[in-house]
Amino acid sequence: MSEFTTFKGLARVASVELLLILRDPMAAFFAVAFPLVLLWVKMHTADPLPGGLPIVAATVPMLSTFVIGLATLVVLPATIAQYRERRILKRLRATPASSVLLLTVQWAAHLLLAVVGTVLLIVVGVVAFDLGAPANTGSVVLAWLLGAMSLGAIGLLLGAVLPSTRGATVIGLTLFFPMVFLSGAMIPRELASPSMRSIGDLLPLAPVVQSLRAGWTGEALSMVHLGVMVAIFVVAGGLAVRLLRG
Amino acid sequence: MTVIEIENLRKSYHDRPAVDGLSLRVERGEIFGIAGANGAGKTTVVECAAGLRPYDDGTVRVLGLDPRTDRRRLLQRVGVQLQEAALPDALRVGEAFRMYASLYQHPLDWRALMDEWGLTEKRRVGFASLSGGWKQRLFVALALIGDPEVVFLDELTTALDPLARRSTWDRVRKLRERGVTVVLVTHFLEEAEALCDRVAIIDRGRVVTAGSPQALIAEAGTDSLDSAYLTLTGRGL
Ligand SMILES: Nc1ncnc2c1ncn2[C@@H]1O[C@H](COP(=O)(O)OP(=O)(O)OP(=O)(O)O)[C@@H](O)[C@H]1O
Ligand SMILES: [Mg+2]
Repeated sequence: MSEFTTFKGLARVASVELLLILRDPMAAFFAVAFPLVLLWVKMHTADPLPGGLPIVAATVPMLSTFVIGLATLVVLPATIAQYRERRILKRLRATPASSVLLLTVQWAAHLLLAVVGTVLLIVVGVVAFDLGAPANTGSVVLAWLLGAMSLGAIGLLLGAVLPSTRGATVIGLTLFFPMVFLSGAMIPRELASPSMRSIGDLLPLAPVVQSLRAGWTGEALSMVHLGVMVAIFVVAGGLAVRLLRG
Repeated sequence: MTVIEIENLRKSYHDRPAVDGLSLRVERGEIFGIAGANGAGKTTVVECAAGLRPYDDGTVRVLGLDPRTDRRRLLQRVGVQLQEAALPDALRVGEAFRMYASLYQHPLDWRALMDEWGLTEKRRVGFASLSGGWKQRLFVALALIGDPEVVFLDELTTALDPLARRSTWDRVRKLRERGVTVVLVTHFLEEAEALCDRVAIIDRGRVVTAGSPQALIAEAGTDSLDSAYLTLTGRGL
């Protein structure tokens, strides 16, 4: 009974939080509209890929990673820092809702933002650029979820340690943009130089891009990539929860 | 029946005591005022009692629960209006009511509550666009949304115009008629005089004196609670 009430409450909070994110013109633009612009630009400028893979089949998974990364590494920490700084969190803590659950809801709302961005990319890819269905839908969904969970956990951790909204935004962007370029979310891996690839492969965005692309083209998912995403989720998520509880 | 029991509460910030061995009891169904100068420790006491701040020493029981270990169960039955709080800028008044109602097991009808506090006309207005007084009314109403047995109101009417203040007083008196216990932090001694059954005057983290407003006025030998306060805390001219 009480758990049902709580669940209903949390679902309501999550949907309200998503609405609030979408009402913020910056977040909505960068997570939803900007990736579509990038897709359009790529489709009109990109060089063909080695091996004859259609550009759109590489670009949509890549930009989906961009969307997940932006929602979780830039928008999520800024939201949490702002909630703390402006005492929005304090007011929420004066209710029977658990603070860890409230932050989980934030995380879920930002994943929903990434879902919105990803679905739009796929729809526009299919309608405008002849994107074919993923070769292995289960793998794509699994890769997407693990990617969102691992990057979301890092975002929660950033939100827990960064004291101000400004600081969180600056640091989120500083981490996000180099990662996007180095890890193959903007430039396909196969076109990157070996040195760039060796750095990029060490970053938390790399297993997400590679698993999503593999799932789309029907290659087997790498167990190492899946394991790395799970490990990031467990370690960063555990640390974040511990810090946010205090 | 005692609903709030605070015994020897101590709380320091960076070794400077804000609450320094404070004790008080609040009985069920009364409107209990806490008055005192800026920095006297009023907000600290209220937030310790509501489980929102840790404290260093002493015992606190609210509805028989320990706010340090039973915070969530306590907040199911206790409403809090914080002196300083905010909602997300883009959250609209109606959405705030609905969302906060969903966090409680047995909330009041949020539409009726919104209506009662005159906020229905503002239901589509975002938090950032509300004036200070409307924000304050919203927070007082949100403190009541879980149908609490005890409400802490930290600065009830500071930002309200005289008309809104009077109608807020009426609504607080109605709470008492329904058996709700109200703890009211106020600087505004006319308010304490008009509303409170008992008032504690605190200074430097301790209770200087407590009693009915009339008793405090008699004790100080003055003609209003305002001047009684100045006399009793030794801050008179
Ligand atoms: N978070 C904090 N960190 C450090 N010091 C604090 C903190 N909160 C309160 N204090 C200090 O503790 C003392 C009591 O503060 P408190 O807010 O409880 O007073 P108050 O009676 O509510 O004052 P006011 O009437 O101005 O609201 C003050 O000296 C204040 O500076
Ligand atoms: Mg105060």
